[in-house]
Amino acid sequence: MLEVRNVSKIYGEGTAKVVALNNVTLQVNAGDFIAIMGPSGSGKSTLLNVIGGLDYPSSGEVILDGRRIDNLDENALVDVRRGKVAYVFQQYHLLPSLTALENVLLPLIFCGTNGGVEKAMDILRRVGLEKRAGHKPSELSGGEQQRVAIARALVNEPSLILADEPTGNMDRKTGGEILGLFEQLNREGHSIIMVTHDREIARQAKEIVVLQDGQIVGKINSEGGGDKC
Amino acid sequence: MKLYRIVLKDIVRRKKRVLFAALGVAIGTMTVVGVLTIALAGQAKIYNELEKYGPNLAVMPAISNVDTHLGDLSLGTLAVGENYIPEEKLPQIRQIADGEIKAALGITDQGNIATIAPKLYINTAVKGTSMMVVGMVPEEESKIKTWWKIEQGKYLEGTDQALVGAVAAKLLTLNTGDTVELNGSAVTVTGILEETGSNDDYQIFVPLETLQKAFGKEGLISSIDIRALCNACPVEVIANAINQNITGVRAIAVKQVAEAEMGVMERMNKFMLALGGITLAVGLFGVVNTMMSSVNERIKDIGIMRAVGASRNQIMRVFIYEAIIIGIVGGIFGYLAGTLLAYIVGPIIFAGTNINFVLKYLPLSLALAILVAVIATLYPAFRATRIRVADSFRSL
Repeated sequence: MLEVRNVSKIYGEGTAKVVALNNVTLQVNAGDFIAIMGPSGSGKSTLLNVIGGLDYPSSGEVILDGRRIDNLDENALVDVRRGKVAYVFQQYHLLPSLTALENVLLPLIFCGTNGGVEKAMDILRRVGLEKRAGHKPSELSGGEQQRVAIARALVNEPSLILADEPTGNMDRKTGGEILGLFEQLNREGHSIIMVTHDREIARQAKEIVVLQDGQIVGKINSEGGGDKC
Repeated sequence: MKLYRIVLKDIVRRKKRVLFAALGVAIGTMTVVGVLTIALAGQAKIYNELEKYGPNLAVMPAISNVDTHLGDLSLGTLAVGENYIPEEKLPQIRQIADGEIKAALGITDQGNIATIAPKLYINTAVKGTSMMVVGMVPEEESKIKTWWKIEQGKYLEGTDQALVGAVAAKLLTLNTGDTVELNGSAVTVTGILEETGSNDDYQIFVPLETLQKAFGKEGLISSIDIRALCNACPVEVIANAINQNITGVRAIAVKQVAEAEMGVMERMNKFMLALGGITLAVGLFGVVNTMMSSVNERIKDIGIMRAVGASRNQIMRVFIYEAIIIGIVGGIFGYLAGTLLAYIVGPIIFAGTNINFVLKYLPLSLALAILVAVIATLYPAFRATRIRVADSFRSL
């Protein structure tokens, strides 16, 4: 469903030039659960941004469901974000003035869908937050905020969920719960690409891609494996 | 839920910021509303000042001077027609003048509007000196000659009294209480006018009836001064209507007076509006600044909205909605502060004016404030739509 072909991303020019991604090629099939690992500054987040059309690659191609998205203009990218791809961020990125329910409704509002409260409540129930629907992000714990962010990502029923260190701000227990949620979503048919630098968390994925200095230096297939310690 | 609800909720969270932006708009609208309110309150005052120009319509008997010639030899001029206007034409003239003013201003109530002051001029010998004696209606005359001041004694109160011009009093050595004879009728001098620098200084004023009786001119007048003072009073229309409907008289609009009055008013209003406009423009830049920082502090929020599917237009709309709310808040504050400003400053400019809430300026104030806020927001909002989602998160 997603192909990343020879993608490079270079920031700056001349001596200030930083190569964030160097000729990365990656194939994601429907139902995949890929963990992208690597040390800080290895280009993980940049790769995720390029895949999801949040950032443009300097060269190479990104093909989503047979359509190149790396060269789309802003207006066309809006359609990609409204349908096929959704994001979950490390910092949750919820709007502070809106309640949990309203944050989940946000993608529907931008789509111009009226109503949707029932659907949003259903999804909040799925992530176990129906009782916190009326609370604002500041009144929720980190784990709860991330559940809201996941619910928001799900409301448009995306085929691909991009998660950038979704458990990065959490203790192991909460992180494990969030990870369990991602596994459940993967079983329900959502493809997931998750950036992490935690090996234990990466091990829950079906495939691990290791990035270093903007290059893929290894791919580990952990399908069926993943010892749970 | 709709987009505007998101904006409202965000504004509630960032009350202080929004109030600050609204303040910038309010300062501009305050000046405009203040200026307009003062101008409105001052108008009556200005008109009072302008009344010193005297009447703006004169009605005279329709006398035609015909130059007579015999070949190249001039035989002088021949006056054709009546020298006097019959008094019974006065109600007709009032009806026309008031009717035209009411029609022009859309007034429906009864009652007199124009000041109509009939006069009878008689040249006669007073104490052996040839003087111009003017018969007039004291109440009406005082409304037209608002600049008249009594130097000695008091204004005319009854028949057989006389008011003497400053120079005439000196010339004839007249004092209050003196008696003068007009064609055999005795009148008592009740007052002497202060010098005005006009013809009035050389004249003696007596009640119209007294003069008419003394010279056997009952029911006759020489001319009528009309003062039709109001915004856009149709003096020329009144003059034409009188000329067409009443025979034997000739009405002349004293155009220069009317035009000068309007001109002063207009220049005044233009100046004040220009002042308000400049303040509004200055306020605009203030709001641009505030909105710019509002965009900067919300880069992350904008990124979030973009990431979950907001289009550029929707981001634009978020800021425009915010601007409209800022405009409404600023417009209301501006209106209230402007009225307060007028209340404080108005009496300094026009002593003795009453400043009132001018409710019709509220929608004007709101419209101005919203317009300014929206214009000030256009560029910052455009900038907001150009923010790249990835950049908005990286900047944190």
